[in-house]
Amino acid sequence: MLTCKEVLDSLSDYLDADMKEELISEVKRHIGSCSDCRAEFDTLTMTLKLYKHEHAEPTVMPVGCHDRLVKVLELEKLRSKGAPPPKMV
Amino acid sequence: MPAVTDEELVRKSKEDDERAFGELVSRYESKVYSLALRMVRNPEDAEDVLQDTFLRAYRGIKSFQGASTFSTWIYRITANSALMRLRKKQLPTVSIDNADERETPVNIADWSPTPDEQLLNQELQHEMEEAIRSLPAEFQQVFVLRDIEEMSNAEVAEILDLSVAAVKSRLHRARLKVRNRLAGYFSESAKPKRRAMGVH
Repeated sequence: MLTCKEVLDSLSDYLDADMKEELISEVKRHIGSCSDCRAEFDTLTMTLKLYKHEHAEPTVMPVGCHDRLVKVLELEKLRSKGAPPPKMV
Repeated sequence: MPAVTDEELVRKSKEDDERAFGELVSRYESKVYSLALRMVRNPEDAEDVLQDTFLRAYRGIKSFQGASTFSTWIYRITANSALMRLRKKQLPTVSIDNADERETPVNIADWSPTPDEQLLNQELQHEMEEAIRSLPAEFQQVFVLRDIEEMSNAEVAEILDLSVAAVKSRLHRARLKVRNRLAGYFSESAKPKRRAMGVH
């Protein structure tokens, strides 16, 4: 039978279903009967839900970001070929 | 016509084919920017990481042996660049090896049934932001790669040059730290309501 410490240490693996099935069953049984460990599990689950919800939108590169990257790489190409740096305007 | 593979573009880039390297930039710039933004958490720093990543890739492409895929290699450069930037900005933190997890549950308040509308408020989003910022940089990396980018433990281990066991350990501790910070927020935000309801 698992102790509370063993359950707490394995909560992430349990959330990710990254453990043997028999151990999953044991953790599930423990959480079902231990209100403190259940609160630990439920709040950890909710934390991940919140975090994923906040980051669900795809990020978009700012306007001009691509052009600035191309410029930086062009300057690096010139530098690697030994060309003098362009005059700053 | 089948698309040119990354491996082919890498081979051509090694032969100074600048169009091939440009194609690799086009394929990965959005992904690199996205990963950088989620790690450094502000657009200016993310753009610096993006530029630094592709500069390093351009300088190092000839020594890229192909032991990993190009995507793993470019994400590894991104993660390292982001880590250096985070370390410069972060206040000294305790060693990441100093575990502060509890060994037994201590009767924590279960705020998980909180109504959805409260979970979406800006104050909570700010608290979440602060919770993640306060993580040691090495924890933030694992947290972002696993829980946001949804990479496997093995992929994260390869990108960060860690063992799978180390990835799992850092992930677990990062999740707990964020959760504990949110628990503090919910216990504070519950107080005024209790007072208003005459509960002491």
